[in-house]
Amino acid sequence: MDLAEKLFLILSGLPATLSISILSFLLGFAIGLPLALIRTYSSRPLQAVVDGYEKVLRSVPEIVTMLFLYFGVGGIPALRQPFKNSFFAATFALGLRSGANQSQVFRGAIRGVGEAQMTAARSLGLSRLRAIVHVMIPQAFIVATPGLGSEYALLVKDSSYAFILGVIEMMRRADTVRKTTLDTVFPYLAAALLYILITFPLATYLDMWGSRKKRQLGL
Amino acid sequence: MTKTVLECRNLWKVYGDVVALRDVSLEIREGDIKLVFGPSGSGKSTLARCLAMLTTPTKGDVFLEGERLTGPGVDLNKARARIGFVFQQIWLFHHLTAMGNVELGLRRVLKMSKAEARERAMRSLREVKLEDWAGHYPAQMSGGQQQRVGIARALAMEPEIIILDEPTSALDPELTGEVIDALRDLADRGTTMLVISHEMPFAREVADEMIFMDEGAIVERDAPEVFFTNPSSDRARRFMARLIRRTRED
Repeated sequence: MDLAEKLFLILSGLPATLSISILSFLLGFAIGLPLALIRTYSSRPLQAVVDGYEKVLRSVPEIVTMLFLYFGVGGIPALRQPFKNSFFAATFALGLRSGANQSQVFRGAIRGVGEAQMTAARSLGLSRLRAIVHVMIPQAFIVATPGLGSEYALLVKDSSYAFILGVIEMMRRADTVRKTTLDTVFPYLAAALLYILITFPLATYLDMWGSRKKRQLGL
Repeated sequence: MTKTVLECRNLWKVYGDVVALRDVSLEIREGDIKLVFGPSGSGKSTLARCLAMLTTPTKGDVFLEGERLTGPGVDLNKARARIGFVFQQIWLFHHLTAMGNVELGLRRVLKMSKAEARERAMRSLREVKLEDWAGHYPAQMSGGQQQRVGIARALAMEPEIIILDEPTSALDPELTGEVIDALRDLADRGTTMLVISHEMPFAREVADEMIFMDEGAIVERDAPEVFFTNPSSDRARRFMARLIRRTRED
């Protein structure tokens, strides 16, 4: 097997790596933004529930969540269907954890936008919900962009844990190449480089875009 | 007799052990221009915010055209849409252009069509002489221009009254003039206003009544001429003397 062949084999894991990263990011977004709004605007008991969720998912290693979902939840006959699928369990576990992270990112961003913007919107007669939708969230997005970039990069890296569950992603492919060719250096170097290539440019771009936009708008 | 637009009766606002407003009653009739002034911490801003129902008073009532806003079951969003408010710290929406700032309430509160809102917003921006700046973001404008957008934003809603909370005090001295000019235009058009301000020449020129507050209460209320020539309370007299001296030095 020459280097090009090895590289292609590793690359064949890229779609799975990207799918896990992107889908878990989207799930994290769908969980994180509402949680941030609850943390900021709702009643104390609900805030405490969200706080608990964040603490648990941020302290438990993602590998534990993954194995728990796959073997634990997947072991329940009624829930076997989605959770015994390793791709699903891995993506879901990362999405839950990302929801906790993104909630914190958005909460910080909403706080950064500031209560004054809410007051100004309310003074025009906007309801709280409309003020959140039209004034707070659009600005919070801009403030949150750099943090969301980092979160994406984190998910790409953590998608490699799916390897443990047997998902055929990039890490798994690199490992297979190592096993079959006994080349212990190239596969991991190539994988490392590919991980850098799919995280660094996008995360850096989002960081720059967000920072520039913030400066331009005086946020 | 002209109708009463906004009124408060026996208004109290207490924060912890601090009494910010004590038993304030005030009535603003259509076309009135009331000017509120007094030392910092005297409760002026709290009064303005309670009148606009941006803060809930601890005790007492606020009425908008006879409707009690401090009771249960009132749609405060509807009421706030009818009371314009201009903030000391301006507080434009950073992510929207001047046009976007003025349009937001028209679109999302008054439910105007895009075209209708655009036309009305443009008219308001023209009234504060900023039609050429419609496409600019707040960060690209001077403080004085930003505050004029703030005025246009309130004005566009065609409120029954506009409350202005120290509209010039966050601005550099050389930028207050353009904002005062915009306010003078509003006054000339017969806009009902409650202005918190220490701009004394402006007050003397446009106010129907000046209201001096100290320690959360109204100490004296009179025609501007009385305040400028012979205030009846000692506290007002001392405060006026300081203000007039400061104005002369400027």
